[in-house]
Amino acid sequence: MRERLEELRGEGLAAVESASTEADLRAIEVGLLGRKGDITAALKSLGKLPAEERPLMGQLANEVKAAIQASLDAKRATLDAAALEAELSGAGFDPTLPGPGLPGGGQHPISAITRELEDLFLSMGFRIADGPEVELEANNFDALNIPSDHPARESHDTIWITPEEARKGDGSGVVLRTHTSPVQVRALREYGAPLRVVAPGRVFRQETLDATHEHTFHQMEGLVVDKGVGVGHMLHAMNTLIEGVMGRKLETRLRPGFFPFVEPGFELDARCPFCQSGCSVCKGSRWIELMPGGLVHPHVLESAGVDPNEYSGFAFGLGLSRIVMLRYGIDDIRWFMSGSLDFLRQFPA
Amino acid sequence: MLISLNWLNDYVDLSDLSAERIAELLSLHTAEVEGIEEVGAAIADVVVGEVLERAQHPNADKLSVTRVAYGADETVGVVCGAPNVRAGLKIAFAPVGSKLPGDLKIKRAKLRGEESCGMICSERELELSDEHGGILELPEDAPVGVPLVEYLGLKDFVLELDNKSLTHRPDLWGHYGFARELAAILGRELKPLKLAQVEREEAPAEPDGRFAIRIEDPESCRFYAGLEVSLEGEPGPSPAWMQRRLRAVGQRPIDLLVDLTNYLLLETGQPTHAFDRSKVRGDLIRVRRAEAGEKLTTLDDQERSLHGEDLLIADAEGGVALAGVMGGANSEVGPETETILLEAAHFAPTRVRRTAHRLNLRTEASSRFEKTLDPAGTWQAVERFVALLQELRPDARVLGPARTAGSSAADEVSLELDPKRTAELLGLPLAPEEVVDLLQRLGFGVELDGASLRVEVPSWRSSKDVRKPIDLVEEVGRLAGYHRIEARPLAAPIEAIFADPMRQLTRRLGARLMGAHEAFETQGYTFLHADWVQHLSAARGDFVIVDNPVQDQVDLVRQDSMPSLLDQAAGNWRANPAGALFEFGKGYFPQGDALPTQRRWLSILLWQRGEAKHHGPGSAFGRARSLAEDLLRTAGVAWTAETVEAAASLPGWAHPAQILAYGDGAMLVSAIHPRVRAALDLSEAKLMAVRIDLEALLAAQNQEAAFRAPSKFPAIKCDVALALPAELPFAEVDAALRQAGGKILVNLQLFDVYEEGALAEQGQRSLAFHATLQAADRTLSEKEEQKFLRKIGEAAERLGGSLRS
Ligand SMILES: [Zn+2]
Repeated sequence: MRERLEELRGEGLAAVESASTEADLRAIEVGLLGRKGDITAALKSLGKLPAEERPLMGQLANEVKAAIQASLDAKRATLDAAALEAELSGAGFDPTLPGPGLPGGGQHPISAITRELEDLFLSMGFRIADGPEVELEANNFDALNIPSDHPARESHDTIWITPEEARKGDGSGVVLRTHTSPVQVRALREYGAPLRVVAPGRVFRQETLDATHEHTFHQMEGLVVDKGVGVGHMLHAMNTLIEGVMGRKLETRLRPGFFPFVEPGFELDARCPFCQSGCSVCKGSRWIELMPGGLVHPHVLESAGVDPNEYSGFAFGLGLSRIVMLRYGIDDIRWFMSGSLDFLRQFPA
Repeated sequence: MLISLNWLNDYVDLSDLSAERIAELLSLHTAEVEGIEEVGAAIADVVVGEVLERAQHPNADKLSVTRVAYGADETVGVVCGAPNVRAGLKIAFAPVGSKLPGDLKIKRAKLRGEESCGMICSERELELSDEHGGILELPEDAPVGVPLVEYLGLKDFVLELDNKSLTHRPDLWGHYGFARELAAILGRELKPLKLAQVEREEAPAEPDGRFAIRIEDPESCRFYAGLEVSLEGEPGPSPAWMQRRLRAVGQRPIDLLVDLTNYLLLETGQPTHAFDRSKVRGDLIRVRRAEAGEKLTTLDDQERSLHGEDLLIADAEGGVALAGVMGGANSEVGPETETILLEAAHFAPTRVRRTAHRLNLRTEASSRFEKTLDPAGTWQAVERFVALLQELRPDARVLGPARTAGSSAADEVSLELDPKRTAELLGLPLAPEEVVDLLQRLGFGVELDGASLRVEVPSWRSSKDVRKPIDLVEEVGRLAGYHRIEARPLAAPIEAIFADPMRQLTRRLGARLMGAHEAFETQGYTFLHADWVQHLSAARGDFVIVDNPVQDQVDLVRQDSMPSLLDQAAGNWRANPAGALFEFGKGYFPQGDALPTQRRWLSILLWQRGEAKHHGPGSAFGRARSLAEDLLRTAGVAWTAETVEAAASLPGWAHPAQILAYGDGAMLVSAIHPRVRAALDLSEAKLMAVRIDLEALLAAQNQEAAFRAPSKFPAIKCDVALALPAELPFAEVDAALRQAGGKILVNLQLFDVYEEGALAEQGQRSLAFHATLQAADRTLSEKEEQKFLRKIGEAAERLGGSLRS
């Protein structure tokens, strides 16, 4: 019996010593100390020994059991420490492996900028207005002080629904709107003065499609009508818009520009954000022409039922397509209407 | 529009300003300068040289070997092929290392064995003229070594103005107008044009021994002046200084008479025309409409077929000029011309523009008449012409008084301006005296009349662009300088602007589509190819039609975005076998001659390759349906699916059998019609469309979601599989089972459809559901679950099927 216990002790300690996993330790524990384990069996067989040997052997068996248990506990602690150390060391873990693909969707870059600018103008107390893309000649031209014989009305500039022979020259014709400016007239008629409104949307011109010309493009019209409004207010609104679009303040300047529905009319230039000393975007001038605007022509106010002696106002028009091209460095305007997933995927939701 | 600074200097002293500064001043105060070109920059390296010796080239008959001095320490040997090269000649010399027009760089060379170090230039090589018969011969006293540009006085800068920014300024279509602007901007003296005194008399309507003028269409021609001038001998060429100026602004010199009218046009902006008097038949000038089909061969030798809308200058027998556009070849001046008839007239802008556009014949003259020229400038041009001609050809004789018809008087425009309001509108602190000064500098007559100003508009501004007090505000502002305007924030709004519900709705739907459904927002063209009428099995009359489409045949205005989405899917299909695009787009429907009806749609198109199931969960149709119903949940709209009658009127892209409608058709979920798929070569693709009428969706959005407290008692989940007749629509099964399940059935979700095997042979299919049973007031017992299953089984039997498990 003694020999058997000593043998089990020797074997057990050696096995624990050589074990390298928790599973090994568990097998040893079960094999020796478990309900059917060898040492448990030895303890159970104590009863068969002569009475005088029993205490001694019992003590020995418990000693063996305790020694093995202690050795198991010690080994476990060592293994746990090693495992923790191994996990923390990062060995065998490659965090750079990818997860499953989640393709996601995205918004059209022109919609994205439109939404940004709508939010900006909402914060300044502007309404957002909408007007039809197929518009009355009267709203697109007459009410905007564009005379009936103005070349912009002719078929080489404007896309018409009304056939040439059916155009009466009385504003009753139907055109694809050539600018978002008719929304000025619609909004003034609907809401009256005072008014602050922006109107984003698509507009149409007779253009042959190429990398820089589209017959369908996007603008955002802005209009403010109130008492005592002047060019200084327009400049402030334009500067704010540019800060919103370009993400930072840019130096700006006003130049004379001519548009029949404003007087005086302006072009706003901003310092080229892409260079310090001239580049291809600004064609070396360090200025880029960003947006036309001006004081609303009295004729426009009158045709919308607003008294130009009481109220004044300003309007501006931002070419959204061009701004998006500038912002992302898109070199071909045709991408916008291509529906190409390879294009659309580059813009986040 | 090209403007020579040397030319401007005749009328306003700009000698102390750089070309860049002048360009900037014009851009900031008047109109955009797009570029500055230095005249003679291309021949800046060329110097005056002298041929010291000339000998025959030993190996070539036509070449000479010369020795040339050009101001350097050493003389050089140069081989030259010109017949007029000779010893003692002063020449234009391009030394080794210099550049000539056309990126030509002069290098040391050997020509037939003789070394040549430099080039003796012809006028054509210097781009001075087309002359290339020999080298340019300079006067004997030309100083050797001096740059040629300096010696010839070629140095000039030419500004390129953006024509579009001048369309409203008829006064800026000649140099004198720009001189006037710069004088006003700088506050400098504007020198007057040198004019000759020319007598004039009213022309009779019938010849009286001299020519008569008859304006038969006074609306198209308000003034016509004719002046006969005779020359002794041939007209000959114009002087070098005039040729230089014409060339500097891109005009080719022709001969004295042509150059003179061109010079006059470029200086004053007023076109004139010189007829050879001997070729004008009879003594009657008629300004009349052309007859339909009437022919006129213009100066460019094109025979033009005319129109009743064209204005013609005719003599006793027929047309001699297309009014305001181009002269006729039959009355052209030439070397043999002895007497000219000079025409200076005022033609109506629209008439000239339409003719020029219809004939695709835009000329320097027509583009100016289009701008509504100053009528007073018409007569002034006659006086300026005579002054210039007498300076160049003292032998020229004016034959009798000029004869005129109509009036050259400009509209008198007198305006009242409030200087205080002017300052307020501009946002500039301007005293009334400053406003007066600024307007006077531009030639306006101004009188202070109490608090307001009485302003007389000069003739060159009253014809078009200064008609109202607000136009004066612009004049004051731009001359004062827009850089002085300070940005000022608008006063705070008093009323809150509540967010626009349509925009909130579209943003929520867009975010859901992009986020949950991995769809990409796109933009499609408003125009569709005419073939879409067939693709959609529609009639052309169903569409709004573009009269002048940008592309041939692309003349339909879309009714909704689906055709453009389909076109875009076809473009993506090869590289992207699965995808989802959506667009918030407008559609239009004709209303006779009135403004078409507009609809605002959200259109979504999903595509993928073949699939295991063609309906139910896991099918493309099922996905589209789930997406659509998810959007309804997003919008907070409680529409439910309805099947669609075969007879219902559907958009042409919709599949008549694979379709569901919601909200009375305001939302459709549909497969794409096989006819459309075939037309777009997309037969392989599974294409599913969802179209939502956004206005209807917004109107239906009012249901407030009511809160229901979740039950505190546990739910029982069980699966049920039923065998049912295959032709029985799911919707009927679903309704029957829900009714049978009663109140405790809180959720019933189909998860599998099995339509194969033995069951299918018996005309049945298996539908498997997850069911959730729960009561608000108690824990359900096992007995209640058994009772539920029994009722479901009975319901299945009533429908001709059975409970399988
Ligand atoms: Zn730049």
